[in-house]
Amino acid sequence: MDASETLRMAGRSIRSHKLRSALTVIGVVIGIASVVTFASVGASVEADIVSEVGSSSASNVYVLPTPAGDDDGGPGFGGVSQPVFTEHDIDQLENTLGVRQVLPRGNVRVSALTHANDTISRNQITATTPASFPQDAIVDGRAFRSGAEEAVVSRSARQAFEENLSVGDRLSIESEDGNETTVDVVGVVNRTAGQLPFASFAGQPRFYVPTDPFYERTLESPAVGASQRAYPQLTVVADPARVSTVKGSVQNYLDGSDAAELKPESVELTAQTSGDFVEEIQKIVGQVTRFVTAIAVIALVVAAIGIANIMLVSVAERTREIGIMKAVGARNRDVMGLFLAEATILGAVGAVVGLPLGIAVSYGATIYAEVAFTPAYGWFAIAVAVGILVGVVAGLYPAWRAARVDPIDALRYE
Amino acid sequence: MSSTAETPSADDRVVRLADVRKTYDLGGTVEALAGVSLALAAGSYTAVMGPSGSGKSTLLNLVGALDTPTEGRVTVAGHDVGRDSEAERAGIRGTEIGFVFQTFNLMPRLDAIENVALPLLFDDWPRERRRERTRELLSLVGLGDRRDHRPNELSGGQRQRVAIARALAPDPAVVLADEPTGNIDTETGAEIMGLLDDVNARGNTVLLVTHERTIAEHADRIVHIRDGLIESIEQLDGAGRNA
Repeated sequence: MDASETLRMAGRSIRSHKLRSALTVIGVVIGIASVVTFASVGASVEADIVSEVGSSSASNVYVLPTPAGDDDGGPGFGGVSQPVFTEHDIDQLENTLGVRQVLPRGNVRVSALTHANDTISRNQITATTPASFPQDAIVDGRAFRSGAEEAVVSRSARQAFEENLSVGDRLSIESEDGNETTVDVVGVVNRTAGQLPFASFAGQPRFYVPTDPFYERTLESPAVGASQRAYPQLTVVADPARVSTVKGSVQNYLDGSDAAELKPESVELTAQTSGDFVEEIQKIVGQVTRFVTAIAVIALVVAAIGIANIMLVSVAERTREIGIMKAVGARNRDVMGLFLAEATILGAVGAVVGLPLGIAVSYGATIYAEVAFTPAYGWFAIAVAVGILVGVVAGLYPAWRAARVDPIDALRYE
Repeated sequence: MSSTAETPSADDRVVRLADVRKTYDLGGTVEALAGVSLALAAGSYTAVMGPSGSGKSTLLNLVGALDTPTEGRVTVAGHDVGRDSEAERAGIRGTEIGFVFQTFNLMPRLDAIENVALPLLFDDWPRERRRERTRELLSLVGLGDRRDHRPNELSGGQRQRVAIARALAPDPAVVLADEPTGNIDTETGAEIMGLLDDVNARGNTVLLVTHERTIAEHADRIVHIRDGLIESIEQLDGAGRNA
């Protein structure tokens, strides 16, 4: 019997059990739709993160102390916030070929911030240099001047107090020991040049002050022999065309730096580009996506069991029909083909319905999560192939059973 | 009418059983056929009679290539049933044998025309030829106007007519009828037997299995079997046509 007749006959028997077939197909639909959904949402989130990073900090090289021996630690989110980089290190790095700026970053411990009689509690604010605020990052006003009692705030910081904070307002900073300093708010920014990738995700209020005069952590520089400000983190802004060269030079310099002498044994100094962070993030998102998708695959396994079950019932019900077909000339492979075709159709229909459903659900999910929808085409193809495969695999045993039916017994079967 | 005169060779015997034995192992050996030799000439009409357990079903299964002999040789249209593979036997069933069962054994979800076409489907006939052939056969058995009825929309007699049309579809070497009137009333049964007589009159070889004398008398000869052996072969009035 040729393939088209086999499919036609198989289609007929599926249609003759509409409800049963539909319920079986729903299992496959759910399986395929979940796989497509999770894979697509994962791909979308990943693409969104990558584009976010790529746009703002592609030419940054981050210099951080990280716990030693933690090879898989990757990005320094879990970095050690111990001040080790001296002003001497900053000067040296700034004179490296391809480096445009070196932005130090440190925390100033405070206890509270007050604006227009509204005080908010706050543990720390960020100390950095004016170069952290490139022109395109400034929403309003200007960058602070080094040595001045001025502050720059993030956009979300404007709503941190009861009364809106804006350029020209005054902000009182209460230090840990209770001293109060008043600064002028001179600018509002939507990002900083030295921020770590993804820092803008948090969207929380941030306050920036100049390292001079606010940052007070100092160490004795072994190279200079004098006490200097020391920072836990540096961001090297490189010439965009030379990011990887700069990363190498920075890493080289670190071996003979003040920081190398000052750091504790347990800490390593690492230079990482945005690309390194992106890779790491992609790895993590990829792992999560694969894990969740693997869970969705369980739904497919359940669907396969559903098909196998219904096909076995079908073989039992149609034992006599199998006998008739064999009596009028059906070969074992004809019978096998019929039942296998039936199972395959169930799987394929499930895949064909499940795919657009999965795309629709994942599209909805990305809108809800406010990330751009990135279709995972590879997974779409896999989903359809897997749906068909599920049908074939689930149909194999029942079809084999059908093919082995003894026509003599089957014709006596009532 | 007779082809014997032109080809008086062994080929003329479309079915041959030579010292056939069939034993089943059902926790102790049961001998269903204990050495049976029988030949059916082309165009002959043979009835097999015997009480239940005599071996007639076994005989029918062997001639129908549904089963293989334990010993001896069964040939149908030149094919050695005992030596052919399972797939080859399926091919023989589809092209050389037409079954007519007591319980009709039609496919419940297929209509009359599809049921008749079933053997042709497995024999890879093109759709157009299948349609032509099935229409012709349904008209022949008097169901030209019931082509798209399903078995549950047909009477017992009509179902058996569909089954006869299906048996004739591949133009088989032999038509095997197993108690063809067993599930229908006497009057309809007579019609069905009339149809089988016509089938034989058109030149088809017919092997009829029954336990009713009146039905068996439609044949040219009656083979009486008992305990797995041929007891006697009785030639009837109609005999001589192919002898």
